Amino acid sequence: MTRFNLLFRPAPWALFVLIGAFCLAAGTGFGQITISGEVTKPLTLQAADLKALPHTEVTGKDRDGKEHKYAGVPLADLLKLAGATMGGELRGENLMKYVVVKAIDGYETLYALPELDADFATRTIILADSVDGSPLPSGVGPYRIVVPGEKKPARWVREVKSIEVRFAK
Amino acid sequence: MTVSRFVLFGFVALAVLAAFQPADDPVPTGPYELKYPASFGGRFSIPADNPMTQEGVYLGRLLFYEPRLSATGTVSCASCHQQSRAFTDGLAKSVGVSGKPTRRNSMSLVNLLWVRQLFWDGRSNSLEEQTLVPLQHTDEMGLKPGEAALKIQKTAPYAALFRRVFGSDSITDGRIAKAIAQFERTLISADSPYDRFLAGKYALTAAEERGFRLFSTAPNPERGIRGGNCVHCHGGPKLMQELFHNNGLDSNATDPGRQEVTGLELDHGRFRVPTLRNITLTAPYMHDGRFTTLAAVLDHYSDHVQASPTLSRELVAAQAGGLGLTPSERNDLLAFLHLLTDTVFVNNPQFSNPHVRH
Ligand code: HEC
Ligand code: HEC
Repeated sequence: MTRFNLLFRPAPWALFVLIGAFCLAAGTGFGQITISGEVTKPLTLQAADLKALPHTEVTGKDRDGKEHKYAGVPLADLLKLAGATMGGELRGENLMKYVVVKAIDGYETLYALPELDADFATRTIILADSVDGSPLPSGVGPYRIVVPGEKKPARWVREVKSIEVRFAK
Repeated sequence: MTVSRFVLFGFVALAVLAAFQPADDPVPTGPYELKYPASFGGRFSIPADNPMTQEGVYLGRLLFYEPRLSATGTVSCASCHQQSRAFTDGLAKSVGVSGKPTRRNSMSLVNLLWVRQLFWDGRSNSLEEQTLVPLQHTDEMGLKPGEAALKIQKTAPYAALFRRVFGSDSITDGRIAKAIAQFERTLISADSPYDRFLAGKYALTAAEERGFRLFSTAPNPERGIRGGNCVHCHGGPKLMQELFHNNGLDSNATDPGRQEVTGLELDHGRFRVPTLRNITLTAPYMHDGRFTTLAAVLDHYSDHVQASPTLSRELVAAQAGGLGLTPSERNDLLAFLHLLTDTVFVNNPQFSNPHVRH
């Protein structure tokens, strides 16, 4: 506790700056992602939250036919953070759950929950925020789904806005 | 009960029911059967609390064409959504009870059964909710909440019809909206030459074929591939994708469009991609009706696409300023766009004004 205080001693005004920055980010909504639906803790993550989460690197072939290095947060980690039924809980009726990823332009695709879970899948599907070391270009970023190994990148949703877990009826 | 006795019982029950129905009753009853091509898919927008019935559609059609549902008694939904124009009005901006133009161009009411985000900016999530907007807008029909019921409760068929459709005579804004929504969901257009082509029942002419190829191909200048890639936004059997894009009309849009709904900067100047079905009938074009002809629309995509931070990537990727269409490419695209007109739809007697006796 003392050590923490020594390392991190916020100035009294810092909180206001933080709140201000937060309001700005919330106002424009830039770089904000929501995770909702069949989860125990619906989340709205700001750009800074996402940046702070552990990143994984994957390679994949984009529409240009070339291999690129993408870095981002595994979708599975985001889903766990929101309390979706991943890992040991992914069985029985929970195998009828799927994830809908929506883009700003309204484009949407789905992934079955086991496709995203490390106990099932050999590949790691990520919410990428950089390509070959730079931020994603406008019209693609700030976030894009990357599905390594998938031959057609139609599920590599660009400009990702929301992630929703649903039950198939 | 044996099967035959069960069937007999059914017939008797039907006969008893029929006896209670006046012989000249024009109101059809029972569940409404939707007919549409399998390629349109079953992802409908029908809410659980408003299942479609024949009597509901019948009532909705009367209300859609009912000018009493306006402050002046002169404006109905059909004033701005005319069947002969695929349910648009031919004006750049519509005019309702106030005489003042509305903010945007009237939209074609077609294949709404498959639309989930209504209006140019997608701000309404159901037809039931959407209907209340024009009813109560001061420049459209100009009624106050609850006023619509007063306007029609003394008119002959309505109380009885509301009872038949909803189980009691109470007329409310919500019930009016539900009935109109049921009628709107029947406005299915699926019989244009394009539909017949997809079904293998129409052969394209050479120009239509070239136009279809331009419509469907993504341009690639490096490899010398010509195309408009219209299909990316306007493609598929329904000729619409429910997407929001900035198609480069302005470098700084005066109408923020989708941004007003989401608050996102990335949505500035984006509008819902409109269907191209019946496009020859729905001029003028775009959310503000700025283009009077399809030739002007093609001019836009060819030479006047304006750069801006939210210009759709698909249009940036083409080439600076636009596709650079040649005169013959324009003619081919126009020939294709003419295939999208469904004359059966605009002449379908089930969609016409029921207050007029033919
Ligand atoms: C004064 C003209 C006017 C009247 C009257 C009018 N509308 Fe509209 N309608 C419009 C305009 C303009 C738009 C586009 C508005 C926008 O996007 O902001 C529109 C849009 C719509 C849409 C959205 C279509 C889509 O694809 O998203 C529907 C549905 C609709 N109207 C139904 C109705 C109904 C039902 C009524 C009667 C209750 C009605 N309208 C009355 C002018 C009118
Ligand atoms: C990136 C998506 C996109 C592409 C590609 C695209 N459009 Fe559009 N189109 C739109 C949007 C969005 C609108 C509505 C814009 C507005 O009103 O602000 C529109 C409007 C139109 C309209 C007017 C419709 C109406 O009811 O007013 C026509 C016609 C049209 N486009 C034809 C084409 C043709 C032909 C092509 C190919 C050369 C094409 N579009 C390519 C997105 C696109």
